[in-house]
Amino acid sequence: MDFAKSDIQAMLLDSAERLLSENADVEYWRHQRSSALGFDEARWAQFAELGWLALPVPEAAGGLDGTIEDIALLNIALGRALATEPYVSTVVLADHVLKQAADEAGSLELLGQIAGGTLRIALAHQENGAHPLDVEAGGTLARPSAGGYMLSGAKIMALDAPSAGQLIVSARMEGEEGTGLFLVPADAPGLSVESYALIDGTRASDIVLADVALPAGALLVGGNRGAAVLREAIDRASIALMAQAVGAMEAANKICGAYVQERKQFGAAIGSFQAIQHIMADNFVAAHQARSMLYHALANADQDQATRSAALSAARLVIGEAGQTVSRNGIQVHGGYGLTDEYAIGHYFRRLMCIEKQYGDLIQHGERFGDSIFG
Amino acid sequence: MELRLDPDLETFRTEVRAFIDSILPADMKERQRRKVANNAAVPDLLEWMRILHAHGRSVPHWPQEHGGCGWTPMQLFIFNEELYKADAPEFDWGGTHMLGPVLYTYGSDYLKDRFLPMIREGATMWAQGFSEPGSGSDLASLRTSAERVGDTYIVNGQKIWTSGAAHADWGFFLVRTDKTVKPQRGISFLIIKMDTPGITVRQIPQINGEAHLCEVFLDNVEVPADQLIGEPGMGWTYAKFLLEHERTTSSFIYWSKRELARAKDIALGERVGGRRVADDPAFRARFARAEADLLALEWSVLRVLAHEEFDAPEAAAASVLKIRGSELQQEVTMLQVDAMGAKSLRFFDAAPVPPPAPTDAWPDYAPGRTTVALINRAATIYGGSKQIQKNILAKLAFGI
Repeated sequence: MDFAKSDIQAMLLDSAERLLSENADVEYWRHQRSSALGFDEARWAQFAELGWLALPVPEAAGGLDGTIEDIALLNIALGRALATEPYVSTVVLADHVLKQAADEAGSLELLGQIAGGTLRIALAHQENGAHPLDVEAGGTLARPSAGGYMLSGAKIMALDAPSAGQLIVSARMEGEEGTGLFLVPADAPGLSVESYALIDGTRASDIVLADVALPAGALLVGGNRGAAVLREAIDRASIALMAQAVGAMEAANKICGAYVQERKQFGAAIGSFQAIQHIMADNFVAAHQARSMLYHALANADQDQATRSAALSAARLVIGEAGQTVSRNGIQVHGGYGLTDEYAIGHYFRRLMCIEKQYGDLIQHGERFGDSIFG
Repeated sequence: MELRLDPDLETFRTEVRAFIDSILPADMKERQRRKVANNAAVPDLLEWMRILHAHGRSVPHWPQEHGGCGWTPMQLFIFNEELYKADAPEFDWGGTHMLGPVLYTYGSDYLKDRFLPMIREGATMWAQGFSEPGSGSDLASLRTSAERVGDTYIVNGQKIWTSGAAHADWGFFLVRTDKTVKPQRGISFLIIKMDTPGITVRQIPQINGEAHLCEVFLDNVEVPADQLIGEPGMGWTYAKFLLEHERTTSSFIYWSKRELARAKDIALGERVGGRRVADDPAFRARFARAEADLLALEWSVLRVLAHEEFDAPEAAAASVLKIRGSELQQEVTMLQVDAMGAKSLRFFDAAPVPPPAPTDAWPDYAPGRTTVALINRAATIYGGSKQIQKNILAKLAFGI
């Protein structure tokens, strides 16, 4: 066991420090939130220049062939800076599906475009009322048609879809078992899209598919493997999100630590009061345990599906709750200022709440982990 | 960054497991597994030390020149974990993990030659005399005095919470040798034989039926001056060294892992209205949370053992381990208790006698769970209470 950073990891963290730290503040976040896509496309291009978008891409497609640890370390930095770029959707989730796709050459082409910053892909899988950890597509149907497929159904809350050029849509395959994963252009005829902001400033879409006609090549992963590939991809997205949560918590703790030394009441810094000190100690413990669980999830990332999912859900349980502890306590020590949009802590609070509920929330991961223990 | 376990360590684990299995007497293992109270069966403890010593494994964490095994921190972690899994008796922690490291680091050759073999060979039980009635969290205010007269210290005062003092042959004490300096500067570390005239030990009846904690009264106790470790006035420094030396011990990770496994067995064995307790959604959610928290604690221990670079003083990680370790000891035992519902209320004698034979209604996991859970309220009190740990942590991590 070795926690020392590899050369590529040190390089990633160094570049992250340089690019992200200058824009990790309320003014920047508020400006991005009011922009068209919720993030700065020029900075996305810088992500590409720094190689971040090529991180999990195979060398054959001009990528860096990075590990899940590399991805996690970069996402810690993204979380610390509350970056709203669709990194997880495109680079973690979609990349993983593309790497498993049947048409290898076509996928390498798409992965190359992602690495270059010219293509973003979002996942449209979740359906209203479906279990977030269920990787079978219940209500969306793919019917064979002349030369391809016709897709119909309704997806809800496709994260980062408003800025994506292509969507990965899950659908039940008519006449066969399983779930297929389809590549669908975001402007395909038959799609109707309603987009909105989430509380952390990121964007999502509800998508209705009405007889969307697709060529046969649009089927990235067939029905026999679709669910398994989707589960792997979502698990990896979960790891990246947990890493962002760890970064966000550690940053929030720093901000609160500074605030309680600066804020004075009764003629003294509030950090001199034991009641506040103990809240801060609780926050430190929570963030520390969260990072420990990120390591646990990473150490099991390549295990068989049952082991991996159990470790991941255990980690989501600890990290999800730690994020709530840290950011709720963070607001508490800020008093009324914690409730304003003008202080950073409220931005961390909203982001950590979003992370806790995406790709399975505390209750659902708790259930999945409990089931893994008792069967 | 390599987070997967080195495959060589799995081989080591297999070897260690087979080794323990080959030397741990079956009757001792069974007594330990079924003991009602944490501190039952003292004779087993020393006998086990002697068995381990015969195989050169009684103090594996010590430097090799003093009988250690030269293992890496990860190997030690695995060895300890396997000992607990096998239901081996505990170490005599006071001797092996507290006094031993202070002795071989600061003790004179005379003290090392005299006492290290006694600890290593399982010849003696040790008592730790730190706390006093007026000095708990504020330990530096301790008042038990040791006055130098010729080649002797005359010790007067009172200690409390001295675990196992009634069965201990020797004790190591913090005593005040200088009243004229800052409290921390006037403290010394003294080894005292427990049957020295002037020592009276009173066992304190506990809420779980045990009387393991003791009061120790010292009335003009004469102690040879060469039993003072290191320099006079340095006792506080040595005591701090002792606590920092064993930074991961306070996590109780091995113990809590074993006991969580037992909680699982209980939840699978007990039924309410025909349903396994394990299938109660509320219980399952709580259990899952405890297991996840324990995994987090384990990784936090591993991070300390691997000396992970850390964005706060290293001692902050030790306080995290103490806080979470003590909370989880309590939660794990309460899961055992709560899985048994009202049945957990039956009183079982904590004396080191065989518990009643198991029946369908009272399986062999029943006696002892509540006995341990009751006294486990101590976990967040001793060794620096949870509140003191939070004070320390706030200072170390945030400078407040």
